[in-house]
Order: sequence, then C-alpha cells, then structure tokens
Amino acid sequence: MLSLPELQARFASSVFGDTREPSTPWIRAAGIAPELRLGIYRNNLREGFTKTLALEFPVIQRLVGADYFRQLALSFLARHPSRSGDLHHIGGPFAAFLREQFAGTTYEYFAEVAALEWAWQECLVAEDDEALDPKALQAMPPHGYARLQFALRKAVRLLQSAFPIGRIWEVNQPGVTAAEIIDLASGPEFVLVHRLTAGPRATRLSAGEFALLSTLARSEPLEAALDAAVSSEPHFDLAVSLRRSFELGIFSRLCFSSDT
Amino acid sequence: MGPRVLQLTPTLSPYPGERAADVPAVLAAGIGLRAQHHAEILANRPAVGWFEAHSENYFGAGGIHRAQLARIRSQYPLSLHGVGLSIGSMDPLNTDHLRQLKRLVREFDPVLVSEHLSWSSVDGRYLNDLLPLPYTEEALRHTAARIVDVQDALGRQILIENISSYLKFECTEVTEWEFFTALVRESGCAILLDINNLYVNSMNHGFDAHRYLDGISPAAVQEFHLAGHTLTRCGGRDVRIDTHSTYVASEVWQLYGAALQRFGPRPTLIEWDADIPALFVLQAEAAKADAMMEQFRAIAA
Repeated sequence: MLSLPELQARFASSVFGDTREPSTPWIRAAGIAPELRLGIYRNNLREGFTKTLALEFPVIQRLVGADYFRQLALSFLARHPSRSGDLHHIGGPFAAFLREQFAGTTYEYFAEVAALEWAWQECLVAEDDEALDPKALQAMPPHGYARLQFALRKAVRLLQSAFPIGRIWEVNQPGVTAAEIIDLASGPEFVLVHRLTAGPRATRLSAGEFALLSTLARSEPLEAALDAAVSSEPHFDLAVSLRRSFELGIFSRLCFSSDT
Repeated sequence: MGPRVLQLTPTLSPYPGERAADVPAVLAAGIGLRAQHHAEILANRPAVGWFEAHSENYFGAGGIHRAQLARIRSQYPLSLHGVGLSIGSMDPLNTDHLRQLKRLVREFDPVLVSEHLSWSSVDGRYLNDLLPLPYTEEALRHTAARIVDVQDALGRQILIENISSYLKFECTEVTEWEFFTALVRESGCAILLDINNLYVNSMNHGFDAHRYLDGISPAAVQEFHLAGHTLTRCGGRDVRIDTHSTYVASEVWQLYGAALQRFGPRPTLIEWDADIPALFVLQAEAAKADAMMEQFRAIAA
C-alpha cells in the first residue's frame, strides 16, 4: 500500500507528465483504465493553466493565435509550473520565458509585450494609496525644487522597449478593429502602466518623461531626474511633464532629499 | 428588495468565544460572486440572499475588485470559499496562503469560511486542482490535524467541501461519508455538502447518493452547493465532469430535495464559474433553490 506522500508524489508526477508509469495498481480501474482516469486530471491541469495564462496575456494570445498560444502555455507549464495555491501568480516568469524562447528571432518583441501585460496585471491588484495633491508641490519653496524627491504610487510601472510595444498593445485591445501596420523598427517606446479608478491603463510617454519618472522612481532628487530627462530629450519641458504626471496621479508623496 | 436573512442556525464551532459561533447562517440561496457581476450588483442591489467569493480572487493587496467586494460586503452577507489551501497535501501548510486568507477573513468578516477535502501540491509544485485523497487512517489523521491548524490560525470553524473525483485509490479503506464523519469528529470542522459533486461521484463511482446522505449527521452540514456538470466519454464509458459551466441538472435538483428533507434548509449556493452567464440567470437558479427551501420550511413549520 502506498503511503500518502508516495501516493501524492506519483499522482502529481504522472499528471505533470514527468513519468509515464508502466502500471498504476494504486488506482482502481473500475471499468476505465487508470491512465485514462489520470488523463482527466492532466486535461484539467493543462486547460486551467492555459485559460488563466490567456486571461493574463490576451494580447500575446491575439498576436500568436489561440492554438499556438496553447502550445506555448504547455511548454511554459513544463518549465514554470505554478508555485502557489493562487493561480493568478503563474504569469510572473512568462515574459522571461518568451525572451528565451524567441531570442534571435523577429519575435523578440513578444517578451516585451508580455512584460507590459504583466505590469497591467500587477497594477490591477497593487496596494491602494492616495494620489498626491498638486497643492503639495505648490506648498514647497521653489528654491528647494532641485532637492525634491517624489514617491511613485504602488500601481505604477514604467517600461521601455526597443519595439513599439505601446502601439502593439493598443491595437490589440478588444474592440479595436482598425487595421494598422506597425513597423517593428519604429521604436523605442516608453510606456507607463498605472491604475485609475476604473482599472489599469497603459499610456505612452516621451523619452524625457520616462527618464524623469524612472529616475524619480529610484528615489533620486528632481534635479537628477531633470538632467536625465534633458539628456534623453533636449527640448524636455519639466513644467508640462510634472503637470501631466499630477493629472495622471503618478505620485503618492514628496519630500526634500536629506543628502544634498 | 434587500437580501433576506430568514432564520438563525447555531453552528457547531469549536471556538465558542469566536464570532463564527454566534453568526447566523443565511438560510437562503446565495450566488457565487464573479468580478464581471460586481458593478451590476452594486448598481441594482438585486435580491440575493448572500454571495460567496473565491478567497484567492481577492488575495491582491488592493485594486478595484477588492474595493467592490468591500462595498458588496457592506450590503450582503459574504462567504469566503478557498480553492488553493491544499489542506490534504503532504507539503507543509502554505503559511503565506494562510496569512492572506486570514487577512481577508479579518477584513471582510464572512459568515462562512470553507475549503475542500482535497490536495493540490507536491514539493511546492501546484496543480491548482482539487485532487482526491485516499480515505485511509493516515489521510484522516493528516487532514484533521491540518484543519485544526487552519481553524486555530483563523480562530474559527471552517467548512470542508466534498469534491468531484474521477478515480478512486486501491488503498481507500472507508466510504467518503465515513471519512467525513470521522473528520468532523476529529477536527471540529463542519461540512459543506456539494450536491452536484455528490451526484457526479455517485454516477462516476457507482454508489447510492442517498446512502451518503443518510451517512452524514445533519448537525454537521452547514451549507449546500449546487452547480452544473457536463457529461463526457472516457474509455467507452460516461464520466460526469464537475465544470460549473451550466445549469444545475434536474437529477441534482432532485438530490437537493432529498438533502433538504434529511438535513433541513441550509445556506445554498449557486456556483457557475466557467462560461459565466448574466446575473439574472444565476438569480433564477437561486430562486429555484429558495422555492425548494421554502417548501421544506413549510413542512417543518
């Protein structure tokens, strides 16, 4: 008689397909071969995993088609099975998996689109926090602006890609039917994913805005962020960019850096 | 019309000082909560007795779905139903998962908290499915101890649900109802009796579902589930698969009637988790369950 740990290990390894047991005397046949019975669970595992992954990466599924997406999902399952009782976490390593899978091909952009979709998923459930009121900035003495540090809200992700991932994402949203040929060489693109009351949203940023926000995200002061922004976008307008960031509700706090 | 709270039933909690023991169960039909129905529920406040949410769907730190759940909870009784704690697994209890569940229970103050008589992981690798246990002394000791650990961590009694299964193990020593009876005795948990799972198993494994009902103590049963299943062919035979993707089958409604007769009215959930229909379809199923409960209340009165 199998012990409970042995039974669970053999069941799982058979359903995951690690091993094909020559015989399964520990399962009652009762009219249906044990291998077929285990097949029901194998099918449940594959279908549940594929369906959840497709919900998390709808644009990738649309780009590759449902049949190929299923194949990708099954290879991904073999390499990165779920490590949590909460199936929502399975998509974490998907972008890295796609990067490896399509390295050196014309489909390298899949990984970057997947990173955008995962950022969207993270923003969907990120911790709630309040957007900083623009009055907080007005209350600061202007001579101290250079030393200001801005904390970004929890549901904010910044992505940059050599590919036009923002436009690829936009034209592959449900309901978008306009045919648009996107030149893969028309990047780079910079994308902000953040959450509004109704849910996450992806917005394209200029190179300067991206440099500003990603520098601020590293807790560097505004002066360093402005330097980074101007070096990537010579005509960068700080006032316009800060106003837009406040309108989008990107910041949660600001303070003076203590080290300057 | 608001939700109906018809009658109080004391629960059998081994935690008499805790809230769970004093909470009236909702003796009406409830509906499994899905995110696509959140906005409609909040806008129209439909006459539904209560809602049951899959705990894991709200494990995220924040966001719109969690905020909507909080608003729904302020207007309806809520039950939390876990699908991923893997109570029967030999892996150590997933403390992170349990911590998240505890946080959810503290925040949403559910009337009922339930998990499954199943396992889903080996060495931290999850199948994210409800897998069957062999009904042995070893599995009983292990599962009962785990339920006690979870109840201690949550500070309240939990309900354990019977699952649908597609195979049986040679080493199984007792029937599922005997196993459940011992589990209730050993752990102090209550039973969430899924009538659809019971029907599916009785057909898949060839036993009399009424014997199962007779084998369970009425005092232990605190909730019923009703759901749809589908029929497939496997190895030249019919196999019923618990898909939660369609209407409750007429045979399951009949068995629900027998369960009401044996156990009396209990909070009854309509579950529909795949190919999810419009809310009014679920309300119509819930109304059927309410009407059947009403008959048995009338008989009891």
